[in-house]
Amino acid sequence: MSDTVVTAPESASESAPGRPRNRKRDQWIAFWLVPIFFNIFGVVFVPLSWMMPPRPPSSPAPAVVEFMQSHNLLIACAILTLSFGLAPVSNAVYLIQIKRMSVSPVFRYSMMVGAMTGAIVGMLFPMFCFGLGAFRSGYEPSTLRMLYDFGYLAFIGSLGCFCVMWMAFGLAIILDKNNILPKWLGYYTVWQYVSELIAAPVWISKSGPFAWNGLMTFWFAMVLYVSWQIIVYVCIFRAIKNQPDHTLENAWLHRDAAPGGPRPKADA
Amino acid sequence: MTKVAEESGSDISDTGRIAHLRSHVPGELSMWFFVIGDLLIFGAYFIGYVYYRGQDPDLFLQSQARLNLDIGAINTVILLTSSLFVALGTSAARNDKVQEAIRLFGIAFALGVAFPVMKAFEYIPEVTAGVTPGTNLFFMYYFVMTGLHLCHVTLGLVILGFVIRSLRVSAKPRMSFVETAATYWHMVDLLWILLFALLYLMR
Repeated sequence: MSDTVVTAPESASESAPGRPRNRKRDQWIAFWLVPIFFNIFGVVFVPLSWMMPPRPPSSPAPAVVEFMQSHNLLIACAILTLSFGLAPVSNAVYLIQIKRMSVSPVFRYSMMVGAMTGAIVGMLFPMFCFGLGAFRSGYEPSTLRMLYDFGYLAFIGSLGCFCVMWMAFGLAIILDKNNILPKWLGYYTVWQYVSELIAAPVWISKSGPFAWNGLMTFWFAMVLYVSWQIIVYVCIFRAIKNQPDHTLENAWLHRDAAPGGPRPKADA
Repeated sequence: MTKVAEESGSDISDTGRIAHLRSHVPGELSMWFFVIGDLLIFGAYFIGYVYYRGQDPDLFLQSQARLNLDIGAINTVILLTSSLFVALGTSAARNDKVQEAIRLFGIAFALGVAFPVMKAFEYIPEVTAGVTPGTNLFFMYYFVMTGLHLCHVTLGLVILGFVIRSLRVSAKPRMSFVETAATYWHMVDLLWILLFALLYLMR
């Protein structure tokens, strides 16, 4: 999924000689954790559990039971349980950039809260639903069916939180006068959040193009999302690389002769 | 849009400026990126619609007959007229006739506001009569696509509002912003024409 990100050139670690080498090391660690996180996600969802592409909402009961109690789903849920903590790190790289923009902090906070609630509904809920089916044997088929519906609807139909999150991100890019990220990326983000809205009909349709495995709600949205995700990381990479060291939020840490010694951070 | 500007702004003393207008793309390039991409995305949705329509033409035709064609046609005229006033307003702003531009953009804005109002007159009787996105695939497409377009109209009205404000505040209009807004509004208009043809008229 994030191949192009991996092929991007090396970080600017060797640019400054001497002891204080790379003042962006923290950001680069956060940044490179993101492709790792998404690759784990990709492996878990696609070839390991075949949770994605989504199974049909109208699957017959035996197919649902077999999927919910499969071994691979259990392994997938175990990996997710151990790695979902990387999600906040992936959002940190956006928030650092949005803080540099000449926009109201409302955008940053909206994005932060949207990302948190989005991760709870879109990632933790499905993980619990599929995990319950995989780890706890003995549930009735009808209960497994409910967990199956719950898991998929939470995963694909959890539009509101992500929608607000990306809306805040997109608008911040468009309104920003510091040109931290390119304007067209802001517009691209607008499509991305609108495609999240298009997922609303998954609650109504059980088959056809608007079901959770449908052309309109899943496939079009996926094409937009995956390409957007790769492009946004390339842009974030360039934004981190191009930021002058003295404008870093933690630049005061590195000032050798800072008058009055180290000073506390002004804001969160 | 550019054409209108070229025709109405034919003061001989202004030839240098007009030549400049001819050579550049109106508005900001990033807005053109958005417009072209948005049209491509809607194009993909339209292809999806036509494909699923082909799977069950009878259902789509019968459902289509239940739409309110009159309001659809009125809304088409409203948006087209609004677009015309945006073009005239842009042309006036280019010729530094700020007061006239404010008036023309005001008319365009008022017509734009009439669109969602008419849409409400269309949606509410449909929903109260039990026609919802859950009724069948045609109505799902109808509500999703017109709803998506309505989001675009709402955003366009916000942008037009900012244009009017910017024209009021400064004596010298920020042409790139006015043109960017006009480009967006024309796209909203174009999308509606396509939607109207596909959802209301296609037989």
